[in-house]
Amino acid sequence: MNDKILYNTPMNQGRSMVYKLLSSLFAKELDQQLLQELTASQAQAFFAQLASDPLLSQDIETINSELNSTLTSVNTDHALLELAADYCGLFLVGTKHSASPYASFYLNDNAVAKDDVLLFGEQHQQMQTYLKQNQLTVQSEFPEPSDHIAVILAYVAHQACACDDSAQLSFIRQYLHAWLPRFVDRLTSVDTGQFYSAIAHLTLAWVESDCEGLKGAQ
Amino acid sequence: MNRRHFLKGLVATSYVGLSSTSVLAPFNALAAAGTKANDDWLTTGSHFGAFKMKRKNGVIDQVIPFELDKYPTDMINGVKGLVYNPSRVRYPMVRLDFLLKGHKSDTSQRGDFRFVRVTWDKALTLFKDSLDEVQTQYGPSGLHAGQTGWRATGQLHSSTSHMQRAVGMHGNFVKKIGDYSTGAGQTILPYILGSTEVYAQGTSWPLILEQSKTIILWSNDPYKNLQVGWNAETHESFAYLAELKEKVKQGKIRVISIDPVVTKTQKYLGCEQLYVNPQTDVALMLGIAHEMITSKLHDEKFIEGYSLGFDRFVPYILGESDSVAKTPEWASKITGVSPEIIRDLAKVMTKGRTQIMMGWCIQRQQHGEQPYWMAAVLATMIGQIGLPGGGISYGHHYSSIGVPSSGAAAPGAFPRNLDEGQKPLFDSNDFKGASSTIPIARWIDAILEPGKTIDANGAKVTYPDIKMMVFSGNNPWSHHQDRNKMKQAFQKLECVVTVDINWTATCRFSDIVLPACTTFERNDIDVYGSYANRGVLAMQKMVEPLFDSLSDFDIFTRFAKIMGKETEYTRGMSEFDWIKKLYNDCKADNAGKFDMPNFDTFWKQGYVHFGEGQPWTRHADFRDDPEMNPLGTPSGLIEIFSRKIAQFNYDDCPGHPTWIEKSERSHGGPGSDKYPMWMQSCHPDKRLHSQMCESQQYRETYTVQGREPVYLNPTDAKQRGIKDGDVVRVFNDRGQLLAGAVVSDSFPTGVIRIHEGAWYGPVGKDGAKQGGSEIGALCSYGDPNTLTQDIGTSKLAQACSAYTCLVDFEKYQGKLPDVSSFNGPIETQL
Repeated sequence: MNDKILYNTPMNQGRSMVYKLLSSLFAKELDQQLLQELTASQAQAFFAQLASDPLLSQDIETINSELNSTLTSVNTDHALLELAADYCGLFLVGTKHSASPYASFYLNDNAVAKDDVLLFGEQHQQMQTYLKQNQLTVQSEFPEPSDHIAVILAYVAHQACACDDSAQLSFIRQYLHAWLPRFVDRLTSVDTGQFYSAIAHLTLAWVESDCEGLKGAQ
Repeated sequence: MNRRHFLKGLVATSYVGLSSTSVLAPFNALAAAGTKANDDWLTTGSHFGAFKMKRKNGVIDQVIPFELDKYPTDMINGVKGLVYNPSRVRYPMVRLDFLLKGHKSDTSQRGDFRFVRVTWDKALTLFKDSLDEVQTQYGPSGLHAGQTGWRATGQLHSSTSHMQRAVGMHGNFVKKIGDYSTGAGQTILPYILGSTEVYAQGTSWPLILEQSKTIILWSNDPYKNLQVGWNAETHESFAYLAELKEKVKQGKIRVISIDPVVTKTQKYLGCEQLYVNPQTDVALMLGIAHEMITSKLHDEKFIEGYSLGFDRFVPYILGESDSVAKTPEWASKITGVSPEIIRDLAKVMTKGRTQIMMGWCIQRQQHGEQPYWMAAVLATMIGQIGLPGGGISYGHHYSSIGVPSSGAAAPGAFPRNLDEGQKPLFDSNDFKGASSTIPIARWIDAILEPGKTIDANGAKVTYPDIKMMVFSGNNPWSHHQDRNKMKQAFQKLECVVTVDINWTATCRFSDIVLPACTTFERNDIDVYGSYANRGVLAMQKMVEPLFDSLSDFDIFTRFAKIMGKETEYTRGMSEFDWIKKLYNDCKADNAGKFDMPNFDTFWKQGYVHFGEGQPWTRHADFRDDPEMNPLGTPSGLIEIFSRKIAQFNYDDCPGHPTWIEKSERSHGGPGSDKYPMWMQSCHPDKRLHSQMCESQQYRETYTVQGREPVYLNPTDAKQRGIKDGDVVRVFNDRGQLLAGAVVSDSFPTGVIRIHEGAWYGPVGKDGAKQGGSEIGALCSYGDPNTLTQDIGTSKLAQACSAYTCLVDFEKYQGKLPDVSSFNGPIETQL
């Protein structure tokens, strides 16, 4: 039996959807289209199902409330720009006062995020190797280093339906969970808004719960 | 909770909205097939040196010096840190309030604000809309796109040329005259010696090494400054400095460094130092002249045959015109140099062949014209101008000057101006009574006092009412003086656009920030050996432009497209078409004289070398026959007295060299009772101005507690309870900064040094990360221009006077703030 059929179970499809969603939220700013999508009934049902896990419910509630207040704002475009400015300050400039979305900034011996790591470093190279092994590449429209959290989450989304649980668990632990808590700490300490802090919290809670699930399933 | 049930429930929602937006795609082996192999060594060049690079998985891995560079600097170790710097401008960005309100935005936020990412189309359209608005509302006097700087190397992608050609196709704008490096020198010397001298080939080093008996390095540190060059640098001058070191050791050449501090060159050569109080060099020179005249040491025959106005100058020296004889005793009181030494120096300089080599710092002070003029007078009195190994030079510390010229033609460049017949979209030349060209360092004054008329170089300049600034490859928030004054000026601007590679302070104080790629992410062509034209270098692209950055050529081609002028802009040629054209034109210019291979061979081998040049003596032709080969001065002779300058009737630049007291001067001069320390902010040892400061790993080889070093004399440090390695607050009435103490007896009492080009990193009160836009904010890293004075050198040049600056310092006792210079804009909570 081919691997794809073997691992492409409804359970893994569900997991993959969550990783994909989280990847998309880190990959770019919220725009009108994404806002409409996320506040439409299908996504709302998806959120509601996610929120049925008590570990995730608080963050889902914050995200939904932020989405709805943006949607119903007197000037939605302006509200989206404010979120875009949050996104920019967190992920697109510098390191010291932002929450660099790159694994290389957190995967080091120190307990705190480093500021002196160069972009496109060792972790980028490692992810490139993984992607290549799996016949994948980062979209040219996403000109970021491959250790960007959106790439790693998208890769896990892909792996969810393509390989066995132990391989997934090992990857998630080594390349995602190894630095995710530091990233989330950093993000929540510098975020001037609530939206991206909630997404970061949700990501951590989800990854930890997924690791438990994968471990239990073995 | 049942995991299986929970996950299946997610699938049951049939939520698929985002599935199409994955950042991953299937790997396309075909598309990747054309990429060059990683193991190729590629050639390129920079201000720091020409070098070769190798990649690993598409990322720059190794950097080694170019094979013809025998004296590479360790600055090339910083190149990777420049390219992969976390402070890269990654996407086109716009300050949020500007995006919302355009020219009516809250400009007090500049320097401390929120940005958003936009597409290139959006950013360039906003840029054009702003230009439209300024041209429509105010005309060309509302736009200053003439403030330009050191760019990156490369003849095609030169950032200044692209920005000015493209903006010029939109409309006319205010331009600058002069530059920060040599503003006073390049203005005064054409009156005295007939050319700028600062940007001219000098007597060849082999002749100097052969003929000179004495070399005077006057405020000159070539061993430090020759590390960087205007073009791809190959450091050939260092071979001659090594030879000079040997001759000093053997006692064959006497080198005297006249300088308040022990320079890097002095240490390298093992030569003598003559200490002089800061800013008093003219007084020292006058004292020497007095001794030459009274002891009849000067060359009367040369003075008579080659110069004009000595008779008008002698009465000033002797005190007949102002009742103050400029005796060595008089000079001694001002300069701190004993009368005996001054007398001895007059003898030394007039005995045997003497080459005077002036540095540039000395003219970046109030009345900076005077030391250059007076030094030319001394050289005239010695009578050796035009002899090999004698006379005076103003550039032997710069860009291979003194390396014999190959005589070959260098490649041309992408045009800076519009082609003949091309017209801008807004073709008005109505500057509303204001000047279309202003002295380079007076633009902040213009923004603050539009309409004001000043004297400049014999003309009247009326400041235009500037509403918009455009910068490209230029960081005035490093090189201009007085940050707090700059903040006031920037709050008056409606729009600021900056194109750069990393988030400089200039980017942070802008509204639209456009990401240029580095030199190493594009193909280009350059000369190496600058003034000596030693060869042509292929600058081969190492990696594709990172993130959403573009080459200067691509940025402004897109901008031209928005104006409907793409073909006009590029002349229908691509990047590579242009490189081939520049090479082939150069090949045609050199035909019959220098063999150059065809383009493909050149590109493959990485360079064409033109071979050795012939030694040459500056002004030898003038000395041979001053009537046939006159200087470019009004009289054709060296002008000791300038009728033209005298006619301007300037109190701060009269008709002959004059000692004029400064507005601030240490060692007993004005203001020294309040602020006793003179701060020198010379060119850095480990950067090219502000370029490379952001390269963190390399920066850490010289910083102190993460701050720019401030060099202090042991006595001054001890008096203030400061030890080597402490963080120090340096301050005056204009500003304050933090820097890291390096205590060294290379610096005399009353003198501190902070190298210019240290990135500005303002922080709010008590080190808060916010509040950097406030007037008076503390610079957390140590940018000396937080403290310098923004005044013109004189009514003649109106150049910058960064060296006329007094400060004091103390041990910093507060909570140490993070350095805020290198991490892009810091958002403030509104």
